[in-house]
Amino acid sequence: MATRLGMILMVDWTKIRRDFPALERKINGRPVVYLDSACMALKPRQVIDAMNEYYEMYPACGGRSIHRFGKDASEAYTAARGKFAKFINAAQDAECIWTRNATESLNIVASCVHLPKGSKLITTSLEHHSGSLPFVERAKRDGLEIEIVKAQNDGTFDIEDWKNAIDSKTSLISVVHSSNVTGTIAPMKEIVEIAHDRGALVMCDDAQYAPHHHLDVQAADVDFSAISVHKMCGPTGMGVLYGKIEHLESMNMMLYGGDTVSDVKFIDGKILPEYLPPPEKYEAGLQNYAGAIGAGAAAEYLQAIGMHEIEKHERSLLQVALQKMLEMEHVHILGTEDISIKTGLVTFTVDTVPSAHDVATFLNDEYNIMVRSGAHCVHPFHYQMGIPIERGTVRASFYLYNNMDDVKAFLDGLETLIEASV
Amino acid sequence: MSDLSNNALCVLKVLETAESLTTTEILELARKKEYADICTDCAGGDSFVAAANQLVEKGLITKKFGKGGYRWQLV
Repeated sequence: MATRLGMILMVDWTKIRRDFPALERKINGRPVVYLDSACMALKPRQVIDAMNEYYEMYPACGGRSIHRFGKDASEAYTAARGKFAKFINAAQDAECIWTRNATESLNIVASCVHLPKGSKLITTSLEHHSGSLPFVERAKRDGLEIEIVKAQNDGTFDIEDWKNAIDSKTSLISVVHSSNVTGTIAPMKEIVEIAHDRGALVMCDDAQYAPHHHLDVQAADVDFSAISVHKMCGPTGMGVLYGKIEHLESMNMMLYGGDTVSDVKFIDGKILPEYLPPPEKYEAGLQNYAGAIGAGAAAEYLQAIGMHEIEKHERSLLQVALQKMLEMEHVHILGTEDISIKTGLVTFTVDTVPSAHDVATFLNDEYNIMVRSGAHCVHPFHYQMGIPIERGTVRASFYLYNNMDDVKAFLDGLETLIEASV
Repeated sequence: MSDLSNNALCVLKVLETAESLTTTEILELARKKEYADICTDCAGGDSFVAAANQLVEKGLITKKFGKGGYRWQLV
């Protein structure tokens, strides 16, 4: 306990904030209050430098060219995978596949995993469209049944609903670990246990969870995990698919081509490919080397600070924001108020300003406060809650570079907005 | 050939129907059949409002915050 407390006190959040060049920017002479990290996290110098180093010092193909630049690129690319595997505690590096984003990771599983005929898929009303649609389409493609577990209105799940939904016919479940709308954290341990007991695989959407909490894929025992690198201080256009090696070995490939093969024979007029095992099997064509190197740097950066410390820091900001917002007469919070099962974000509506876009525009125009408005690619949950899609909700999300001044500015802005709109 | 996006053209077309409109009114109108050929990206509203803000920067429309939120008007 004392050691943990000591570690928390040792984190210098002010120094960490200085790692992010975008926060040095002034707009109309005022500082930036960036509260849209659930959409896109800012990038620290360490990540930018790692990527620049690739472009400036060894901008070559990895795994192909034998010259010095090629060797440096290959080594950095391989090392990045190792850093990421360590970040999520994968059993081996090959269980981490580089993708373009979490959406692609989810699509690979939905399209390529072998599922028995007549089996059932399960997803939820709280999924990001990227966590539901690939599975909806897979069900359509193969004539599979699909059942939707409805989240509670506070964004939590009733475990009884999972017990009722997952049966011996269920082959695959796609579930969001931490919601990008309500911030609620799903009871993954229980869901995975029920699923595995009944022979189903679990695809976990960790796009919002991995950047803000300690993700241990072995402890969680999920079969697959989808991660967005751009939400965890890494570059855009990068994602990770984690899969247990036995699944990755048995699944179909998504793309075919260069770098996926050990040899392509030409015998009796036929082209006969011999494919490589994971990860190469899933990484066809020239890769985003700078992106992977940036992803490795981001994983290393966050891990050096400590994911538990980041989680605590965000929750300390969320607690203050949430408490004050609950006291505001015209503000309505979407999702649970229990921060112990919540990622550092708050989604809300303001009843004096029907359009969430107006709230976001006002905060941006008047205070440089950057929040997200809309339905956040989770239309089903908005329909469930009776919130018109065109009106949407506002989401303020906190990350490691935010501080109490940001929270105060946000709350002041919100109060001014309400005063001006009644 | 206009250099405006479809979203921006949609905002202009919808605003022609009234002296001024709120954001919600614009988005609700944009989803109607008569605008279906041009207003294709308005479901969530975010890119649509971003386009409206660009029109303000171009001096083609104005916005004013008051009771109920923003009101938008053609210049």
